[in-house]
Amino acid sequence: MKFIIEHLAKHFDKKQVLKDIDFTFESGKIYGLLGRNGAGKTTLFNCLNRDMKADGGAFYLTEGDQRREIVAADIGYVLSTPTVPEFLTGREFIKFFLDINRDSVREPKSIDEYLDLMGIAPEDRDKLLRDYSHGMKNKMQMLINIIAQPNILLLDEPLTSLDVVVAEEMKQLLRSLKEGRITIFSTHIMDLALDLCDEIVLLNRGVLELVDKSNLDEHGFKDKIIAALKEEAHEQE
Amino acid sequence: MNRNSTFRISFSLKNTYRVNSILYGLRQIPLVKRAIPVSLYGIRGIKTFAQILAILWEIISTFLGKALYILLMISGAASLYGDLRQEAVFMHILVCLSVYGAFYNTEMFNPTRDKYYAIMLMRMDAKAYTLVDYGYGILRTAVGFLPVVLFFGLGAGGSLWKCLLLPFSIVGMKLSASAYYLTRYEKSQEAFNAGKPTRFFWISTFVALSAAYGLPARGILLPDMAVNVLLFLPLPAALWAAGKIYSFASYRELCQNLLFQLLNQMDNVKNISRNQSLEAISGDQRISSQKEGFEYLNELFIKRHHRILWKASKRTSVFCLAAVLAGLVACGLAPEVAAALNRIMLTYLPYFAFIMYAINRGTGFTQALFMNCDHSLLTYSFFKEPSFVLKLFKIRLREIIKINLVPAVILGLGLAAILYSSGGTDSPLNYLVLVVSVICMSIFFSVHYLTIYYLLQPYTAGTEIKSGTYQLVMFVTYMACFLLMKVHLPTLVFGLCAIGFCLLYCLAACILVYRLAPKTFRLRS
Repeated sequence: MKFIIEHLAKHFDKKQVLKDIDFTFESGKIYGLLGRNGAGKTTLFNCLNRDMKADGGAFYLTEGDQRREIVAADIGYVLSTPTVPEFLTGREFIKFFLDINRDSVREPKSIDEYLDLMGIAPEDRDKLLRDYSHGMKNKMQMLINIIAQPNILLLDEPLTSLDVVVAEEMKQLLRSLKEGRITIFSTHIMDLALDLCDEIVLLNRGVLELVDKSNLDEHGFKDKIIAALKEEAHEQE
Repeated sequence: MNRNSTFRISFSLKNTYRVNSILYGLRQIPLVKRAIPVSLYGIRGIKTFAQILAILWEIISTFLGKALYILLMISGAASLYGDLRQEAVFMHILVCLSVYGAFYNTEMFNPTRDKYYAIMLMRMDAKAYTLVDYGYGILRTAVGFLPVVLFFGLGAGGSLWKCLLLPFSIVGMKLSASAYYLTRYEKSQEAFNAGKPTRFFWISTFVALSAAYGLPARGILLPDMAVNVLLFLPLPAALWAAGKIYSFASYRELCQNLLFQLLNQMDNVKNISRNQSLEAISGDQRISSQKEGFEYLNELFIKRHHRILWKASKRTSVFCLAAVLAGLVACGLAPEVAAALNRIMLTYLPYFAFIMYAINRGTGFTQALFMNCDHSLLTYSFFKEPSFVLKLFKIRLREIIKINLVPAVILGLGLAAILYSSGGTDSPLNYLVLVVSVICMSIFFSVHYLTIYYLLQPYTAGTEIKSGTYQLVMFVTYMACFLLMKVHLPTLVFGLCAIGFCLLYCLAACILVYRLAPKTFRLRS
């Protein structure tokens, strides 16, 4: 399965944020999306999730020779600030999600099994999500996004605000989930990207480009990435 | 930095802030937004033009604000006490309010944004800035009041010397109050904040207003002697106060203190509505639901928001019932009231459009929906599937109609009952039209609010309202209902029109939602 973006563009007023996004993502890999502040990472995700209308271009999935449009269920989008419906309890949120996605969730588990998977303690499961900690909300958001096993998982800086233990748990989880889907992980922390991701993609001057790691050690690879990102700043001056 | 340039910088800073606010405001209006590019902020010609406007406004507001204040709060109010000496009432109210204003309307202790920008961000010298800013404010007070007090004061029959003295007495009172606060700060480190009312503030407001307006109502006025003392005393006090204000050493500290509170307030405003919404969720552990899917979600939402939805609606219902009963009793006791009520029932139905507007829970419902539910669920793609959006819309429409229906039915039946007991009508159709049209209006508002919420979804993920169109629609709704109050039509005519309009509107709204909502029901960014 491949996720193909063709000539995606988006501008705000006179600023062309995404110029010509043209890229093919392959399933089974975690892509680290690196870019400087304001490079357009979140804009790209918002366009892909159809929260924002792109000016032009297309994106679709291919399986073998079959090309098909992306539907809402194909995409899971985890935001940096977790948002959960505060008036539900953890258990109720999962139940609601399972209820309405009964047809699309493959091999559903019991609610407690799901909550076990995320390490949500039994005494917290019947509390309102309003009263959950930041880390717990983040876990709930991630859980909802993986229960339906979406083909594309977009993660916008999801680990930045988590404590080290939860962040490590989440990294493990993402690694275990990567088979059979495309995971795109946006961050501006390079070490995190190098640690977790199989490929590094730069969002630079409104286009996406793969950074080729071939026969570079980690240090050389880092230098190459920094050089590419600096080039942008230089040109803008 | 000399005083002159401090003044120039502080004035131009205030100006820039004002000019940019005007331009920002312009860009929030739907069509204007397209016509005005962001680069507007940098265009020289427009800036100069706005600059001139701002200076003109500064001059006009110096006098206009004072004129309105004297006209409405002093002269206008004084004329209500017709049997008392106008000159004495004028002086009485003005002196009472001035003493109060000296303590609570102090520019020095009012933390504003331009002070924050100047002192905290641009690190201007706090003492120089405060003195210049305050001095300018005091000058504006004196210059602004002089012609206005002369005009209205002499008009009320006041003596020339009192009217000439008054502006300076007001300035003296203001200076003395500020100096008092500075002395208090030196002693106790307690900074008075004019932007943050305390309980003492509310008590003083009550006392000042009762003294200014309550005493004359009972025929009591300040004796001439007391007025004279209050006019003269501030003058020597002003000399002491000016010395104190000039020599006060800790302006930087004081401003830091005040502006820190301002920052907190700004953060709070953002959080307050968010926190209020979260607090509206009931933590009652017994709440549960046996339903499934969207009905499950909806039932939990309604039950956990019982306080702001059903409880509010029940309170309104009780109030409507009480009003109806009072009307019925009045009809029975006084025939002339009955005749008046009969006329109202038969010609003032448009008035009830405004009442239905006022008691509708629609905005509260959509706000809670967004803040506590959609705000988060809209970030999940499953929630945005067209079939799901429409399914939930149907459920929510049913709920909001139900919530608003109870008071509407009570009011509709109540109006018919009042019509009957106040002498009835030749055309029995009127009873039916009263009941049905009030119910239709209630359904109309329910549909209206939910529809514009689904079509214009005005909130951002940060729960800010970011749609000029939405605000415009809300304003037009208000104005339309408000203007209807001025319309007097036979109940039969207006009622039938209202029923027809509501049915057509609901039909159109539902078609629009089915066509467009899957695309429009998104988070704004």
